[in-house]
Amino acid sequence: MAYVATRGGEHAIEQAERLFRSDLGTISKDRVEGIRSSLPYLVDRLMGEASLYEPDLAALALAQAGGDLYEAVLLLRAYRTTQPRIAIAEPVKQPDLFTVRRISAAFKDIPGGQILGPTLDYSHRLLQVGVLTGEDYTPEPVIPAAKPAPATQPSLTDWQKAQGLIAEHPVETIAPEEIPDLTREPLLFPVPRAHKLQSLARADTGGTLALGYATTRGYGDIHPTVNEVRLAEAPVLLRHPRGTVFSAGRVRVSQAEIISKSKNLELGFSATFGWNEVKVISAAILDRATSQPNPHAASTEEFVLYHTEPVESSGFCIHFKLPHYVTFQSTLDAYRRVKADGEASGSKPVIKEPAKKEEVAL
Amino acid sequence: MDYGRSDDAVVANYSHGEALRILAASRPASIRAVAERILDDLGEVVVITNRTGLAMLPYQDTVKGTAFHLGEVLVAEAHIAVPGRGVEGYGAVVGRDLEQAMAIAVIDAAMAAHHDTASIAELLDAEHAYQREADRQRLRKVEATRVQMETF
Repeated sequence: MAYVATRGGEHAIEQAERLFRSDLGTISKDRVEGIRSSLPYLVDRLMGEASLYEPDLAALALAQAGGDLYEAVLLLRAYRTTQPRIAIAEPVKQPDLFTVRRISAAFKDIPGGQILGPTLDYSHRLLQVGVLTGEDYTPEPVIPAAKPAPATQPSLTDWQKAQGLIAEHPVETIAPEEIPDLTREPLLFPVPRAHKLQSLARADTGGTLALGYATTRGYGDIHPTVNEVRLAEAPVLLRHPRGTVFSAGRVRVSQAEIISKSKNLELGFSATFGWNEVKVISAAILDRATSQPNPHAASTEEFVLYHTEPVESSGFCIHFKLPHYVTFQSTLDAYRRVKADGEASGSKPVIKEPAKKEEVAL
Repeated sequence: MDYGRSDDAVVANYSHGEALRILAASRPASIRAVAERILDDLGEVVVITNRTGLAMLPYQDTVKGTAFHLGEVLVAEAHIAVPGRGVEGYGAVVGRDLEQAMAIAVIDAAMAAHHDTASIAELLDAEHAYQREADRQRLRKVEATRVQMETF
């Protein structure tokens, strides 16, 4: 068997791509619309990680990728690079959020009350298997209240600050065009808080969950409780050429504050595009964990932010399957040379074998 | 959410900001029908831009007040000039709908030229009522999920 560099294979490569695409079948507008309408939380997750809000394009990316989320994130981020930046919107502030869900696990009687909103948190998880035998599953309609909920909800942290429970932080006023931007500047450590929150906003959901969970299990010093989790729609406030600020529409966002009771009461924060509670809760834990004076090695900013970047980390992982024949051959050459040198000098390389376990008959 | 309320009313009781917000959220068929009628006698229209692009969306952290970028939103925008009337029109809407953006720009130019304000006011009234009712119905369902928790 020889390990050599290769080239060519154009025909096979083309047929491989054709095979992948033919397995998925025809992608039609109806199919894309079906994905968008039936899988809104998946579309939300994708838009958050791709850092681009456009549900139709996200649904199309999912269709083209056959549901492979990392591939879909890559497609959407690649599309984003084809578009010019034409504006920086006005900052979204909490009082502007059209809020449909807002709960606190830390305080029962919060100003504005607890609104469960759309959630399965308190539901039995039952698979509606009858659907597979032809029985449509139609959910029971909501019985609306006589009066509507307030469109916006007050700030819980403002109330806590007024109670003296948490520290006030001086708010730095910064023009929107001066906010540090990861898409234009590299991630350098120590990171500005704006970079950290932007990075967490587009981080891999599974990555933030794994590291956030790890930090609460002992690889960190965080004992979180959800101070507030909120699902809402945020207005995209643009500026007309004559200077008028107006809303060009609303986008789904989620945000979470976690409160850690390790020493003082300290808050962590995260927000992202779309409704994705696991992401914002775990990212808020990571915000708090990475803000500790001496964080655990698994909770440093560098460890967390590098390893939760979905495109770079997934790309690095899957690049290992591409041909590495030359580099691997050089490793083999070195290995054989060492072995030959050892044999020439009469001293065999010592290979430690693990202690033999009892053999099991197969 | 009061946007542009400081502006003087441009059509009926709507400030410029309110009118643009209502138009951006309008139903496509309604706004296009009015825009097409306006185009019939607005005069020559020069398109300055009609494209999709990105609007970076900053967000305010509620814990430390840090402004950061949440991500980019794809928006469609249209910018037109009506040389015969000496006005310009601009429209932008979240998403990829260039026709909606153009329809807003046409109506915006008409508002600047005080042209066919009756049709525009009628459109704004109808769409404003529709949007308020849609939000109201949504929030009635949200209110149904208000919970009073007890601890033991």
